[in-house]
Amino acid sequence: MNNGPTVLLIEDNPGDADLVRLRLVEGDSAVNVSCVTRLADGLASMAKEPPSVVLLDLNLPDSRGADTFRKVLESAPGVPVVILSGQDDVALAMKALHQGVQDYLVKGDITSNHLERAMRYAIERQALLRSLEMSRQQQLEFKNQFLSHVSHELRTPLTCIHQFVTILMDGLAGDLNPEQHDHLGTVLNSVHQLQAMIRDLLEATRAESGKIRIEPRCIAINDLIQQATSMMSPTAKDKQVGLGIRLDSRIPFVYADPDRVLQILINLIDNAIKFTPPEGSVLVKTYTVDADPNMAYLSISDTGSGISPEAKALIFERLYQDPHSVDHNRTGLGLGLFIAKELVELHSGRIWVASEIGDGSTFSFTLPLYSLAKLLFPVITYEGRLRDSIVLIKVELTPLSNPPRTNWKDICQQAIGTLRRCIYLDKDLLLPVMGNTETSDTSFVAASTNLELAEVMMKRIREQLEANAGFKTAGVLRVSATAVQLPSRDDGKSLEELVQAVAEQVTEMARLSLAVHNIPQDANGRVSTVGN
Amino acid sequence: MDKPKILIVDDDANLRRALKIRLRANHYDTVQASDGYSAIAVAQKEQPNLIILDLGLPAGDGFVVLERLRDSDALSSIPVIVLTARDPQSNKQQTLQAGATAFFQKPVDNSELLAVIRESLPSPWQGTALPS
Repeated sequence: MNNGPTVLLIEDNPGDADLVRLRLVEGDSAVNVSCVTRLADGLASMAKEPPSVVLLDLNLPDSRGADTFRKVLESAPGVPVVILSGQDDVALAMKALHQGVQDYLVKGDITSNHLERAMRYAIERQALLRSLEMSRQQQLEFKNQFLSHVSHELRTPLTCIHQFVTILMDGLAGDLNPEQHDHLGTVLNSVHQLQAMIRDLLEATRAESGKIRIEPRCIAINDLIQQATSMMSPTAKDKQVGLGIRLDSRIPFVYADPDRVLQILINLIDNAIKFTPPEGSVLVKTYTVDADPNMAYLSISDTGSGISPEAKALIFERLYQDPHSVDHNRTGLGLGLFIAKELVELHSGRIWVASEIGDGSTFSFTLPLYSLAKLLFPVITYEGRLRDSIVLIKVELTPLSNPPRTNWKDICQQAIGTLRRCIYLDKDLLLPVMGNTETSDTSFVAASTNLELAEVMMKRIREQLEANAGFKTAGVLRVSATAVQLPSRDDGKSLEELVQAVAEQVTEMARLSLAVHNIPQDANGRVSTVGN
Repeated sequence: MDKPKILIVDDDANLRRALKIRLRANHYDTVQASDGYSAIAVAQKEQPNLIILDLGLPAGDGFVVLERLRDSDALSSIPVIVLTARDPQSNKQQTLQAGATAFFQKPVDNSELLAVIRESLPSPWQGTALPS
């Protein structure tokens, strides 16, 4: 053995393989060559010990053409690949280089010097790429740390400005005349804008480094849209822009983080209002698409100036602002759509825009529809069939005072955290909380596969929640359990159908009252409200 | 009935002054501390009815203060409201777990802060709507 580079030659033609070996030996370089004839063997060898360089024939018994290098690049992204091909195909060579292959040599042209040099340069180029990628990652990390530090540091003086401005405005330092009050109101507005920008900056940084967490639950999306539009209607009114909704009442529930969805909606609606001239209108819709039955579709359309095709391609990029946009005195950092896109994708949804110049824009996104069956499936099935029984544990939190304390929502949030620590991931499931915000009487339901485990879990839930000081002073706790016998015969039903039936039963038993929201509907079952 | 006494712990003197003006206007007495070490000392001496606590503090940060308060028989029942510039996503659960009653990120909305103070105060003042 010697310390030269290790070469993996993947070549099925014995004559070609010998020729390459000969060229390598002629070159007098200290190389270790191992040769395999099938792609599968090559991939296995690379997985075991990555070589310094791969010499690759494209037409092998188990793979041909572009597929061959694609598979090699995929399975060993860091290893330099040099293609040795029988034919001089420029188009294929370009395609290979674009996908990350280091070189494309034609077998007939190879001399030993040529081959040795190609290998050496391929190894160097690959190493260079790797170090560039590493320093890029490092810089990204530094930048994100810096931004996160900056947005934290900016909050301290901003808090001070906010506090003293409100002290003055509330007359705590003497009476103000109306003009002074008015000026301070302008300062306070600017403080709020600055605060929003700092929040966006931090959020975008977090999105970029993958640190945003979402807490999906079962939510009534139509209620959430009404909440968003009523929050935005003063802004719309100020600009004399109509704000309407048209909701498909057949969409029951989606599985999403309500705070985040509200953030997305507000973001898109705010943008739409911003780019719509007075007397124009913005419409928020929900609908379903037959070809995509697991998703709810939401769209926000405006009658604004539209977006150019160039802008459309970049609009979800971080920091992008359309230079031709009509509104020149707008506020914001250009992070809104980037954050919206990240949030939608965290929910496994898609976001896109359709727009023509002069003809308004429609931003659409999708969210997964809520399916208890999908969540229950791994817990209640076992080796391809239903378990005999499960236990439902219901945890009820009732606030001591009515209305509940201001921090009741936090207390419920904490309770969810505690419950999550009380379950065994593979055998138990904490069912998503129903509703957009915790109501005054909050129930959580967990499912467990085993009665003994359920008893242990109940004891733990009780102990841990009762140990929480904040909770003890704010609410009363009740924990109860019910065993549910699962159907033992399948009656020719598929496992999916059985799980669906159990899901319906569980929903019923847990009395997770999925009250359909009271929105006035027209004759087609559609809803149309709000407007100017 | 005496006015409830609130301990303000923050290393920013301007913010302490602003909170003092705001709280006194709402009929609370205030005492102050500017670091983690003196926070505990002042709490022991003054026995406040509620503490407003920053997290980033010299001489023992907010988490250390929370821990010391919980370990002390005399101080463990005092409600603590955390008021910090730090990010709720990575700090809120932790502070609540460490025994804080509520978490606010700076800048805070005054009416929300005052509402939580009112609700968190122990019994003689509990829930009483103080004239503002």
